[in-house]
Amino acid sequence: MHIPDGFIPLGQCAIYYVILIIALYFAGKWARANLDEKRIPLLAVLAAGIFAIMSMNMPIPFGTSGHMVGGALVAIVFMAPEAAVLVFTAVLLIQALFFGDGGITALGANVFNMAIVGGCVGLYTFKALQGMIGKYPSAFVAAWLATLVAAVVAAIEMAIAGTFPLTVGIASMALYHAFIGIIEGVLTVIVLYALEKFRPDLLAWNRE
Amino acid sequence: MAIEEVRTLEMISSKDTIIHNLEGRVKLVAILLIILFTVFSDRLIVPVVLEAFLLIIMYLAELSFKESFKRVLLLLPFGGFVIAFQPFIHPGNIIWQGPYSWLFITDTGLNWTILLFARLIVCLTAIVILSSTSPMQEVVQSFRKLGMPRDLAMILTIMVRFLFIFVDELRDIRQSMASRNFDAFNKAISYKWRVKQVGYSIAMMFLKAYEKGETIYLSMASRCFSDNSALYHARTIIGKREYIYLGSVIVIIIALELIVLFYSNHLAYFGLSLSL
Repeated sequence: MHIPDGFIPLGQCAIYYVILIIALYFAGKWARANLDEKRIPLLAVLAAGIFAIMSMNMPIPFGTSGHMVGGALVAIVFMAPEAAVLVFTAVLLIQALFFGDGGITALGANVFNMAIVGGCVGLYTFKALQGMIGKYPSAFVAAWLATLVAAVVAAIEMAIAGTFPLTVGIASMALYHAFIGIIEGVLTVIVLYALEKFRPDLLAWNRE
Repeated sequence: MAIEEVRTLEMISSKDTIIHNLEGRVKLVAILLIILFTVFSDRLIVPVVLEAFLLIIMYLAELSFKESFKRVLLLLPFGGFVIAFQPFIHPGNIIWQGPYSWLFITDTGLNWTILLFARLIVCLTAIVILSSTSPMQEVVQSFRKLGMPRDLAMILTIMVRFLFIFVDELRDIRQSMASRNFDAFNKAISYKWRVKQVGYSIAMMFLKAYEKGETIYLSMASRCFSDNSALYHARTIIGKREYIYLGSVIVIIIALELIVLFYSNHLAYFGLSLSL
């Protein structure tokens, strides 16, 4: 899902960067209001942890493998997509600069997909379903949908850029990430369950 | 690149060569300029000349060509996968017809494939050079000096510092799993059980990260850290060597743009616009 350099024209990259700057402004405001001065070390170390988590590969049926993204997870833990924006901007910037995973020019687009879209879809799906089907089933659906929608949005961005036809792009990205999303959903539920069991105070849903 | 190689990268980036010793901001800006211009241009001459320039930088930085290109190859998969479809999906004049009516290659598709591939190789080579000649902390400090917002710069500074701890944590988790004969890819074990074990490891990692973040805050607060604390960064000087390095990158970019503007018809295929 990490779009590399050269796949999106510079003009369009600039638009995603503007969106990223606006998102960072609101995320900064949220962090100041909700995490006080604890926000910097907390989000920084969490970003380092998410970075390591993203390198843990898991086999997926049909002979492929994938790793957790965690956009929905971070948004659900803090009950705020803003947390995902801050954490993923740091993670994706380091990935782009040192690991070549996603481009520098495409950073805005990648944060938009994985943090803004992934975080918002994850959190608001969770909130919408929580009352109907319970916490964990809704967390599973939320993480699965967040992965799927983020991948579809990446396909749409590449179609707008002219790099990949819309229908083929959406079909292939949606199909692949529909499977990856199942793992994302299961792992999100396991992490939330473990947090609820060992450190329920960390989960924002217990403070609301 | 595997996250475990982060230590190797840190060792390579701490060498003592003419390129490694350049000021961090200059190295960062030079690489960003190269990437931006590569993405901006649609003529093949640009990535070809810039790749040649990057190879010279690689030589001056005493980086192993073999190891560097191995890293570039490892970074190719997603981009390479998307590029592989390009010759077949764009309308244009058919230059090859396959056994099925829908299987053909167009000139426009092939040109676009070549351009995308050339761009990707240059951008990845540039990233490999940046990460092999600048320690992570130096790059983050360069961002701070170039005016990155304070909060984000501090998050990056602390994140980079703790990345190495989590690499060790990850290695320990993998070692203890391996010592119990656990392999997430072992099909002899129930898939459900494997997912559960990986899930628990991720949960532990998440928990450790969160708790470590809280501990770090407490230790910073006990040393009088507050929202108004000033950020320390070592003073560095931009000297003659830095001006020459950055100047040569700018001169090459301007020269290439002028060549593209005024002499592109003398460059044959290298001067053609390859965009869609």
